[in-house]
Amino acid sequence: MTAAAIPYTPPLKEIRFVLDHLAGMAEVAALPGFEDASPDMVDSILGEAAKIAENVLAPLNRIGDVQGAKLGGDGVARTAEGWGTAWQALVEGGWNGLPFDPARGGMGLPNLLNTAVQEMWHSANMAFALCPMLTQGAVNAVQLYGSDALKDLYLPRMISGEWTGTMNITEPQAGSDLAATRSRAVPNGDHYLVTGQKIFITYGDHDLTENIVHLVLARLPDAPPGVKGISLFVVPKFLVNPDGSLGGRNQVKCVSLEHKLGIHGSPTAVLSFGDEGGATGFLVGEPNRGLEYMFTMMNHARLNVAMQGLSIAERAYQQALAYARDRVQGKPLGWSEGQSKGIVNHPDVRRLLMGMKARIEAMRGILYTAAAAVDVAHHHADEATRGRAALLVDLLTPIAKGWCTETGQQLASDGVQVHGGMGFIEETGAAQHQRDARITTIYEGTTAIQANDLINRKLLRDGGATANGLLDEIAALGGELSGHADEALRVTGAELTAAVHEARQAIAWVLAAAKQDPRLPAAASVTLLELMGVVAGGWQLARAAKVAAERLAEGDADTAFLSAKPLTARFYATHVLPKAAALRATVVNGSASVMALSEEQLFGAA
Amino acid sequence: MPILILADHDNASLKPATAHAVTAATKLGGDVHILVAGRNAAPAAEQAAKLAGVAKVLLADDAAYEHALAEPVAALLVSLASGYSHVLAAATSAGKNVLPRVAALLDVAMISDITAVVAADTFERPIYAGNAVATVQSTDPVKVITVRTTAFEAAPATGSATVESIAAVADPALSGFISAELSKSERPELTSARIVISGGRGMQSGDNFHLLEGIADKLGAAVGASRAAVDAGFVPNDYQVGQTGKIVAPDLYVAVGISGAIQHLAGMKDSKVIVAINKDEEAPIFQVADYGLVADLFKALPELQQAI
Amino acid sequence: MKILCAVKRVVDYNVKIRVKTDQSGVETSNVKFSMNPFDEIAVEEAVRLKEAGTATEIVVVSVGPTQAQETLRTALAMGADRAILVQTDVTTEPLAVAKVLKALVGKEAPGLVILGKQAIDDDCNQTGQMLAALLGWGQGTFASKVAPAGDAVAVTREIDGGLEVVSLKLPAVVTADLRLNEPRYASLPNIMKAKKKPLETVTPDSLGVDVTPRLKTVKVAEPAKRQAGIKVPDVATLVDKLKTEARVI
Ligand SMILES: Cc1cc2nc3c(=O)[nH]c(=O)nc-3n(C[C@H](O)[C@H](O)[C@H](O)COP(=O)(O)OP(=O)(O)OC[C@H]3O[C@@H](n4cnc5c(N)ncnc54)[C@H](O)[C@@H]3O)c2cc1C
Ligand SMILES: Cc1cc2nc3c(=O)[nH]c(=O)nc-3n(C[C@H](O)[C@H](O)[C@H](O)COP(=O)(O)OP(=O)(O)OC[C@H]3O[C@@H](n4cnc5c(N)ncnc54)[C@H](O)[C@@H]3O)c2cc1C
Repeated sequence: MTAAAIPYTPPLKEIRFVLDHLAGMAEVAALPGFEDASPDMVDSILGEAAKIAENVLAPLNRIGDVQGAKLGGDGVARTAEGWGTAWQALVEGGWNGLPFDPARGGMGLPNLLNTAVQEMWHSANMAFALCPMLTQGAVNAVQLYGSDALKDLYLPRMISGEWTGTMNITEPQAGSDLAATRSRAVPNGDHYLVTGQKIFITYGDHDLTENIVHLVLARLPDAPPGVKGISLFVVPKFLVNPDGSLGGRNQVKCVSLEHKLGIHGSPTAVLSFGDEGGATGFLVGEPNRGLEYMFTMMNHARLNVAMQGLSIAERAYQQALAYARDRVQGKPLGWSEGQSKGIVNHPDVRRLLMGMKARIEAMRGILYTAAAAVDVAHHHADEATRGRAALLVDLLTPIAKGWCTETGQQLASDGVQVHGGMGFIEETGAAQHQRDARITTIYEGTTAIQANDLINRKLLRDGGATANGLLDEIAALGGELSGHADEALRVTGAELTAAVHEARQAIAWVLAAAKQDPRLPAAASVTLLELMGVVAGGWQLARAAKVAAERLAEGDADTAFLSAKPLTARFYATHVLPKAAALRATVVNGSASVMALSEEQLFGAA
Repeated sequence: MPILILADHDNASLKPATAHAVTAATKLGGDVHILVAGRNAAPAAEQAAKLAGVAKVLLADDAAYEHALAEPVAALLVSLASGYSHVLAAATSAGKNVLPRVAALLDVAMISDITAVVAADTFERPIYAGNAVATVQSTDPVKVITVRTTAFEAAPATGSATVESIAAVADPALSGFISAELSKSERPELTSARIVISGGRGMQSGDNFHLLEGIADKLGAAVGASRAAVDAGFVPNDYQVGQTGKIVAPDLYVAVGISGAIQHLAGMKDSKVIVAINKDEEAPIFQVADYGLVADLFKALPELQQAI
Repeated sequence: MKILCAVKRVVDYNVKIRVKTDQSGVETSNVKFSMNPFDEIAVEEAVRLKEAGTATEIVVVSVGPTQAQETLRTALAMGADRAILVQTDVTTEPLAVAKVLKALVGKEAPGLVILGKQAIDDDCNQTGQMLAALLGWGQGTFASKVAPAGDAVAVTREIDGGLEVVSLKLPAVVTADLRLNEPRYASLPNIMKAKKKPLETVTPDSLGVDVTPRLKTVKVAEPAKRQAGIKVPDVATLVDKLKTEARVI
């Protein structure tokens, strides 16, 4: 059976708007080292990346889903038809190196720009885009913590994409709880011998490149227990000679590939290390600091997985929108001559589509704002500015990962709903988005783990100072818009102000409750995360609406596009922001009831 | 002043396209002359002389014109152009090759692919792949024009013009013909065919597609299919027209035994003329068809084969 | 051998264009523009000839508004060496473009000029032929293969009935058809390098060319809407309608 290609058109105009007006592309381009990121260069790069997304990656999305990745008799995982050529296109295009050090073959462009490119690639083909995403994460870790020798030997080819990278954390007994990591590494001359089993390793084996560089968490013999005793190692699939040529096969074996609900095109491997004594590994940085290093990769990956929530929603939205225009079912209420008779004009279908559109724009605002803050945190000349940006990134990361992936999933489901029965049928392609989206709330730390991070490390640690600082900024915007002449902006401002108030109350309650019973904030955590996501989304849409209104007032002729912004913001303000009150009520009134039943009652004989 | 049409021919015979250009020329007011530039091209000239509305055929018979190379043919046309108000050709690959060269040598603008004559100096032509129609007016002394053949009827072969031989002009000798590879009998490719005739589940079997193929060969059409027909194994999957198959926009699309699901329509709804043959008068395909025939295809197709 | 390529900035082929309500043209504000797809093929062919060692330098030219610089940058990113923008806000007709190109050919002395066979906005299919005429050069239009050898180039042309091969004396003009090649994606390093490649801006005036349109556009209208369909009673009526009314068979 030939798999059908469902088109994807990169939303370049939306992307450009968010880059310029919400994320501050110009300010990022003004940071030292980013001189090349001029507006016309950004256009050229996005334009070309869009072509690749649309014409190279998107057509392979369905093929990957249908054919999946398969383990060959030789123990090598095979990707779907056409994937090798597509990877080659990325390598030849130098796309993998976009954000990296020019001294090692990268392009030295901002993370913000990379984010926009990644959005398109994830929309086009999420299962495929995981490979460049993880490779970039691995480059980051080696770049930041690896010895010069490691960097010299591995980085150029990882940056070019000739070799890919993986993240080997999870073990059968160690998923959310990394303290349970058991893989071992024993010193052996200039290297270590690594043994153990890792599971769920994305692109843990494949046929796209001649070598794979695994970044592996393992314990040294004398390591302290828990997360403070984990070290990070580079374990290549093929050993690398000092001249960079490939040596012998290392003891890393792909034991099997998982059969999954979604992202079929992405091989998810069980890897066995050191079956015949020990795989050759090289320590990254200092012993016992592996988790800390891995978090560098993970923070990068968490924002990227958050991006997958946006990307998959965008793809599902485009498909739903096209279907809603074509599908006719009865005459829509209030239909008038000249209007399309498509279901798009049934108010409830429109509600679904508006819900998708508004949330997508909200997510894009959050993620690009965070991406710009990453650039500022790394590159700004002023230390205090860097510090503030880093705090914003830290706060936004769990919110973005949790909220954007949960929202992405919901929107993929809404996309199916717009299709009616056809949505449930695989050939339509809407169902694939929903299946693919399902993993995003799980890997790179489940939503619960994000929520724990938000509460424990982002709220309790500084007594809510950073979060309340952000809420102050949002409240100021809400206040400003509440007095605006335009009705849509006024409503947006008022609802935003109210939602900020709810968020403050919820945070205050959590801070207080933490002193009584540590289980209370934990019970409230995911709800609070959702509340923060709802507010952050409203913040971004309000910013967009404000900019759009200003531009219109200045006489910008693009009225159709710009005047949609306040209207979209108002939709969000009246459909999503009111949920803040309910979420606050759940946090404040409902957290105690989460653990109210005893375990016996939960399991008890009914 | 008279109007000159460059004939499209292969020496042995005149291409039908020229007859359409003649019809466009007759709307311009003025005697219509046809230039046949070729080698041993008298047979083509004879056919040109028979086209109704043609006053005179000029035959330039010379080795230089055997393969209708643009450089010598344009030089010849330019030498004649001063006696004409318009120089026309059908918008075939030959006409499109030569006429812009003529226009440039005459230092006049050229008007490609006209679909209507509004006045002797004003014409309609499609732009943006037919998504808009421009009306343009020329003030140049000679109007150089190619004609979209589908927009004008063919002039009938009821005339009897005289054929006058004219001398060749100097060949600029810039180019030479090496070879040609003409695909004669094979059916055209689905996406570029001018006519597509597709069968659906109603065809009942792969064998029955012969009913379509006979008609296709007569019309120079490509054969397509609905997904149901492909899924049922009647025809290979590269026949599939629709959302998940090929997108076609021919001048004529004939859907036979196809219900008209939106996924199928997505692949053919931009066709210029749509014909549907279906025994179910409620079939949605009729909502997009310009001409709908409610009939049993097994009866209608043989009749159609006869009638065309 | 130096190759000159002409590239045009046009409304992207994916854009569903709309006619302006005053019928003065089509809506071009806020729509996506890109390089005319046939021109992309022309540039690709030039780059391949350079990679094969046949060409030594590729100069790309665009006649159009300031924004056509983006189009030129795209060509530079694909592998062209140098760009010339002939800046004008006039809607240029093929004859004017051919004259501009002729003037530049006079300065640059290329051995081969490659253009797209037509621009997908005005759908004229004229410029290459006109340029060849003005230069007194041979032309190989609708090319699906270009093979330079010595002082000639063999061009395989897509013609209505199939393929034809002609040989042209060099220098010559070639216009690219869709099957000539599949244009590459510009690589990121090349996109960045393109910014540093020379892009010179001149005006038609400075080349001594008058680009005032010769044709007057009286109006631009929507094509006729699909007429409500009819049911025909029998095959004979159907065939008759197709022949006389629709004129498609
Ligand atoms: C397709 C796929 C690809 C993956 N790719 C990789 C990869 O490349 N590299 C890699 O190392 N790993 C990878 N993983 C593993 C992934 O990161 C883990 O599955 C994930 O972290 C969850 O761990 P777990 O599966 O053990 O679930 P568990 O930790 O067992 O979680 C089960 C449930 O318990 C909850 N839970 C657990 N602990 C807590 C807590 N402290 N507080 C509140 N709730 C809690 C979770 O939220 C979840 O609902 C991948 C997984 C999949 C399915
Ligand atoms: C995701 C998806 C993608 C799809 N993509 C495509 C696609 O690309 N292309 C496509 O075509 N379909 C596609 N489909 C399938 C589409 O929905 C329809 O199922 C299909 O087009 C039906 O084909 P049909 O009209 O031949 O069959 P039917 O719907 O079964 O119609 C057969 C028709 O033949 C008529 N008929 C039967 N016998 C005769 C007779 N003796 N004389 C005259 N008429 C007769 C019947 O009245 C009926 O109208 C897709 C479906 C899905 C879910």
